[in-house]
Amino acid sequence: MASLIALAVFYLAAVFADFLSPYPYDNEERSHPNAPPTPLRFRRADGSARFLPFVYRTSYTFDENRGRVYVEDRSAEYPIRFFIPGEEHRILGLIPTRIHFFGVDAPARIYLLGADYLGRDRFSRILYGSRISLSIGLVGVSVSFVIGMLVGGIAGYFGGAVDNALMRVVEMVMLIPRFYLLLALRAALPEDISSVRMYFYIVFILSFLGWAGTARVVRGMVLSLREQDYVIAARALGRGHLWVIVRHILPNTLSYAIVSVTLAVPSGILGESALSLLGLGIQEPYASWGNMLAKAMNVAEIQFNPEVLWPGAFIFAVVMCFQFLGDGLRDAFDPMMEASGVKS
Amino acid sequence: MKPQFNIIPVIVICLCALVSCRRTQPNAAPQKPPEASEAQNKSGVSEHPKAYVPVVGKRGGEWLNATISGPKSFNAVVSNETSTGSAIGPIFEGLTTADPDTLMPQPKLAESWHFAEDGSSCTFNLRAGVKWNDGMPFTADDVVFTYEKLYLNPEIPNSTGDILTIEDKRPKVVKVDELTVRFDLPWKYAPFVRAMSADILPLHKLGNLSAAEFQHHWGLDTPPSELVGTGPFKLVSYEPEQRLIYERNPHYWKKDAAGNQLPYLDRYITSIVKDLNVAYLKFKNKETDVYGLRPEDFQVLNPLQKQNDFTIYRLGPGTGCSFVFFNQNTNSNSETGKPFVQPHKLKWFRDARFRRAVAHALDRDTMINNVLYGLACPQYGPMTISEGFFFNPDVKKYDFDKRKSKALLAEMGFKDVDGDKVLEDEQGNKLQFTMLTNVENNVRVSLANIIAKDLKDLGMEINFQPMPFNPIVAKLDASYDWECVLLGLTGGPEPHFGSNIWTSRAYHHMWFPSQKMPSSDWEARIDELFTLGVQELDPEKRKVYYDEWQVISSEQLPLIYTVVQEMIVAVRNRFGNIHPTPHGGVTHNLEEIFVKE
Repeated sequence: MASLIALAVFYLAAVFADFLSPYPYDNEERSHPNAPPTPLRFRRADGSARFLPFVYRTSYTFDENRGRVYVEDRSAEYPIRFFIPGEEHRILGLIPTRIHFFGVDAPARIYLLGADYLGRDRFSRILYGSRISLSIGLVGVSVSFVIGMLVGGIAGYFGGAVDNALMRVVEMVMLIPRFYLLLALRAALPEDISSVRMYFYIVFILSFLGWAGTARVVRGMVLSLREQDYVIAARALGRGHLWVIVRHILPNTLSYAIVSVTLAVPSGILGESALSLLGLGIQEPYASWGNMLAKAMNVAEIQFNPEVLWPGAFIFAVVMCFQFLGDGLRDAFDPMMEASGVKS
Repeated sequence: MKPQFNIIPVIVICLCALVSCRRTQPNAAPQKPPEASEAQNKSGVSEHPKAYVPVVGKRGGEWLNATISGPKSFNAVVSNETSTGSAIGPIFEGLTTADPDTLMPQPKLAESWHFAEDGSSCTFNLRAGVKWNDGMPFTADDVVFTYEKLYLNPEIPNSTGDILTIEDKRPKVVKVDELTVRFDLPWKYAPFVRAMSADILPLHKLGNLSAAEFQHHWGLDTPPSELVGTGPFKLVSYEPEQRLIYERNPHYWKKDAAGNQLPYLDRYITSIVKDLNVAYLKFKNKETDVYGLRPEDFQVLNPLQKQNDFTIYRLGPGTGCSFVFFNQNTNSNSETGKPFVQPHKLKWFRDARFRRAVAHALDRDTMINNVLYGLACPQYGPMTISEGFFFNPDVKKYDFDKRKSKALLAEMGFKDVDGDKVLEDEQGNKLQFTMLTNVENNVRVSLANIIAKDLKDLGMEINFQPMPFNPIVAKLDASYDWECVLLGLTGGPEPHFGSNIWTSRAYHHMWFPSQKMPSSDWEARIDELFTLGVQELDPEKRKVYYDEWQVISSEQLPLIYTVVQEMIVAVRNRFGNIHPTPHGGVTHNLEEIFVKE
């Protein structure tokens, strides 16, 4: 249940990313490369306390080792303000506004999780990136489940030659290692395309990956369901095959489907991250958790900017949440499944 | 009597080197670059002594380095990727070599040379007493064989042969006596002696092969004992994807000041590792003796110098560069009849004002400070300061000033008519194009991101696509269907060896390859300058031609240069006679390096 709430928070944050983040994803401040998280101060330079935290303006110099040393300019305080006007955006894509949930006045910058090499706020980019990373997994996996259930339903319902043919196809797809299939599909698509189209391509790729397993399980369930009285009754009443499959058989497999969709979403998120990490997915300046994490592939970089690992922490958290949610749902559905079995 | 150059696909390999440009250079034993006159010596980083005098060392010890790409072949003639070059480097030698500091040709297997009065021939006196590493004597026959039968054989396509071929005329190589060889030259050719640095191969091992057989000979499956060279080391074992092990050549000809036979080191071992992170960790963990630093490594390794007993050498700007260029190809695809570039875009790309507008929008400071940790310099012309004599500092420089860019674009008639922050030209076409760079090179992808953002601010709609290196090369060399690319090349001290890029007939004239007639006046002038330059034997007069070429290229900007990285290498302190230079790397004097105490 806690994971459901956590996921709700993640998805809400994704939806309201432009309002919650202090800066747009491509807002650069080139004088702040790889800035560390901005320290929030409660105590003024003269020792007196402030109720609301404030930040100082920072600037950097190279030390003798070419490390960047950031120093605070203590002459002016920039309090953190809520509902502060900033760059224009549209809440839910509809309501134009300049108000951001929080921020500081220019020229100071607030970097809760540090900045990347162009001085873009990592926190804002993680929020924007969650739109892509969270939705792409969900959409991709949903599509693959629709395909999987249809194929499984048809195979199980008709049986015989149809079943045989479809299951062989499924086995072919399952034979190929997932990650290589992912790379192969990416390689088969055109190279020079815009990021928006790339998003849809990745959805397509991800939906191509997951359907085979679902199809197999659903087929097994349908094999027994099609012998149920209500199926025979529906057929006797002259309903078409597709109607029977979609209206009478598949709803009975839905509890299974919901659980496994939940458990499969993380693989979608990880698939997108893997592609973007390798530079083959979403491209900068657009943010996705995978392409943000690509900077962490450099050992020296991690040593001096451990903040580059933050997107990884978010991926970890979301994947965990989905796993727990899936487990919880299975426990919740199991008794119902048995009950429905007895009832019929 | 106007000689015209054949297309010289030398720097094909540089093109290949571009992919590995940044990836091989920071490796152990950087093979390329030249002399840096401005090694900034800050922060206690050692500067190499200017005048290098080798000291007498002692026998024994090993040298360990790491590379991220193993050899593709051991055939010095046919294959010329950087990885193959560094693998066979210790085994073979040429007649001449470039001095690591002055970059002037120095004797190697040839002791001396002289041109005939009229410049129609050049005679090389070979070093006496040189032996192949299997003990056979090295003679003029080997040189004649290597040049006549291999490099200058039209049936064996290779870059040395291309460099030496002008209007299908090749030099003739004549044996005068056992230790004297004469090259009869059909043309005047200023960098001839420099071109004589190609490896000499053994007649007694390869003499009975046909041209076709030779091209496939000495592949990776060759037993190491077959690789007979005159160099200081011989290969004793090659384990694919793991390591190359070399041992000292007991027959090596060179002796130190005290008369001891070189090389000092008993073994030289190159490990082949997966990526630069591994090479970096291996050096940090003392598993290798040399490492070429990436900019981000400096802050980790610099403080460790004392503790881990190594020295970091900052060699100044290297010779690998990155540049943006636009497709100016006016031709059409012969099959579909479609132009390679949409006509309205071609009109922008061929307009120098457009390219200047882009040049003014390059934020080189951000590139240097944010991506390269301040360890780089801006570059404006086709040569870098470390390439020595022919470098012209007085080229046109473009400061980062978007107002100038906007003014140039406005002058060309670009205006944002519909208020969507994207400019339209006078015909109402949106100013949009696709920019490509190779995804393997993280630095280049970061540079491209900065460029794309700044051009977007100017009102260009840029679709930036990092993609693998090979498809980009296919676009540049074969299908020509690209708009804008960010890539790099590795240069050298001799401008004529860049003629395979800069002359308009050239196959690698990247912005508009293989032109029948120069498509613009300035390209015609560059062709002319290269023709004049190669035939002028007086270096000072040659420099005038190549200075003009550099100025024209900075005004016309077929390649818009960005920044050039500093070359930095780290070497363990236990070695003596270490004298790294940008052009020679660390191992140019491998035979003189020894283990102290």
